[in-house]
Amino acid sequence: RWLASSSFVPQSCVHTSTSLQTTRKWEKKNRIVYPPQLPGEPRRPAEIYHCRREIKYSKDKMWYLAKLIKGMSIDQALAQLEFSDKKGAKVIKEVLLEAQEMAVRNHNVEFKSNLHIAESLTGRGTYAKRIRYHGKGMFGIMKLVRCHYFVKLVEGPPPPPEPEKTGFEQAKEYVQQLRSRTLVNTL
Amino acid sequence: LVVVFSPLPRLRGLLQRCWGRLERGLPPGFFGGQSPPWGPALAVQAPVCLPQPASGTGESSEAPGLLDSILWMAAPKKRRTIEVNRCRRRNPRNLIKVKTNIDVCPECGNLKQKHILCGYCYAKVKAETRLIRMEIHKKEGGPFNAPTVETLVLYDGEKPTEKDEGKRIIERARKRPSWFVQN
Repeated sequence: RWLASSSFVPQSCVHTSTSLQTTRKWEKKNRIVYPPQLPGEPRRPAEIYHCRREIKYSKDKMWYLAKLIKGMSIDQALAQLEFSDKKGAKVIKEVLLEAQEMAVRNHNVEFKSNLHIAESLTGRGTYAKRIRYHGKGMFGIMKLVRCHYFVKLVEGPPPPPEPEKTGFEQAKEYVQQLRSRTLVNTL
Repeated sequence: LVVVFSPLPRLRGLLQRCWGRLERGLPPGFFGGQSPPWGPALAVQAPVCLPQPASGTGESSEAPGLLDSILWMAAPKKRRTIEVNRCRRRNPRNLIKVKTNIDVCPECGNLKQKHILCGYCYAKVKAETRLIRMEIHKKEGGPFNAPTVETLVLYDGEKPTEKDEGKRIIERARKRPSWFVQN
């Protein structure tokens, strides 16, 4: 974290320029067009990218909801969000329904239930600073936080969950790693 | 949230006064400026004449007052690194748990929780009840006019039977809803 400026360290930690423009790359991801598939290839599943910008909610709080629905089928995700008490749950539910609608209309998805959530992310939106008045004439500066929410739906059933690594497996891997060590810079 | 301490002469002044008094070997005193209720310290002359270290020991025999608690407040020693913060925020205790008590309502087909009424069906019944209550309100014409007899709600094409003799009739100009059972 103690990064130096470019004049001090020539190799790494170089301060490059940052732009003042916001990037809106997630919306562009829907526009990529693949070349037509050859007859023998397996069918490429449809991918739908959708996002909502500048939601009046905290990105950290929204992240818990995004983590909840990662990897679920869209029906299960909508069910979980419907009965969640959080403010962001309502917003994410709207986004998912919009994305489902887009998938069926524009992206040639046959069954609206045959989608699963491949990625769901949150990002920081623009923050505004305001004054919060305390007693005795003191004040604090508070941030009005906003966040973005991104989701990628992919056609097909959700992938099966990975089996958890047992302790024995981990121990075996460790021993394997120790055994595969070699001598470096020698004959 | 950053609290700016610019206009607070009171605490600073109090601290300065207390430090000044400590240097002079006197007890710091309480917030309101009252004299400390130190029976033993005042009766024995030694703590007053002795230099500062003794007044420090004399002070420690007293129960911690308001000023001690200010000087002894708990404060973080080091900044919590982002790795430590992530471990706390992301451990399964703080993640949202997946609910397993969601079912399908047999009446309308919407989702409902097992121990809670279906929201859609409840809203439907609520809307109809509101219209019935509006009819009752029109019939009564004011507060405190509720009759002492039972109320009967009749829909299109229904007649009151013999056993509904003394009841007050409320008419609703629509077909009887399927969920409103007629007795």
